[in-house]
Amino acid sequence: MTVRELQQSCGFEAVCLPDPDREISGCYCGDLLSWVMGRAKSDQAWITIMTNINTVAVATLCDVSVVVLSENVAFEDDVRNTAEAKGVNVLRTPLPTYEAAKKLSELI
Amino acid sequence: MKELSLNILDIAKNSVKAGAKLCKIEIIEDEETLTLRISDDGCGMTEEFLKNVTDPFCTTRTTRAVGLGIPLLKLEAEQTGGSFKIESRHESKYPDSHGTVTQATFYKNHIDMTPLGDVISSVVTLIQGDPQMDFEFVHTLSGREIRLDTRELREVLGDEVPLDLPDVLVWIRGNLEEQYRDASL
Repeated sequence: MTVRELQQSCGFEAVCLPDPDREISGCYCGDLLSWVMGRAKSDQAWITIMTNINTVAVATLCDVSVVVLSENVAFEDDVRNTAEAKGVNVLRTPLPTYEAAKKLSELI
Repeated sequence: MKELSLNILDIAKNSVKAGAKLCKIEIIEDEETLTLRISDDGCGMTEEFLKNVTDPFCTTRTTRAVGLGIPLLKLEAEQTGGSFKIESRHESKYPDSHGTVTQATFYKNHIDMTPLGDVISSVVTLIQGDPQMDFEFVHTLSGREIRLDTRELREVLGDEVPLDLPDVLVWIRGNLEEQYRDASL
């Protein structure tokens, strides 16, 4: 499943999708950035509530295919611009992390 | 990071990389706050680099385009309502007084406070990793002080005894453990 397909089938909000055709191979959930850094894998979707610039850096570092923001957390414009520039896909949903992960797991 | 002691390791490694001869690690605690200050006499940063140093996409690393040590420390401090600052003098402009001071203040009672963790292991690991470099460690706990200075160890041991000898490292660990035990009495 691609990031675009996930966005459409789950009705997640597209915060920015510079690379919508990336495949999603799995999922990782976590908010402690230094912890996620060593654990999220390439091509996974990463579900988190962390929305600062470091989130984009960790997404780049781990090469995740998309960051899914749960609980409708606010995402600042300048952070979104950086995500766009670095080619990091970002989606958003009002669902809590567990519910979002459950929805995702039904699809992949 | 999960523990501040890991941040200490991470930031002090920047001092090693900057070619510092001395790296001073201070933890200053009172009832409400914990301040972590790491100062070195390394090459320092240019003003240009310093401006961007809290941006994770700015890094001295050559293996990847992202550096998170300083950005994460800043985030952790700010998450508790605390503050972060970094000051640096680059050797090109300050040939006799270059170096960097990184300081983060945390509010200890905030629910998102990162626990301090195993500081002793961080200090021992740093000495073991770069035994030729000097480290001064001071932890002030409401007036009481725990300290270790490798320059003083060298004075006693003589220059021919490397600080990464297992016996020396075991002694350093034991000494710090004893100081912490005494301080908590």
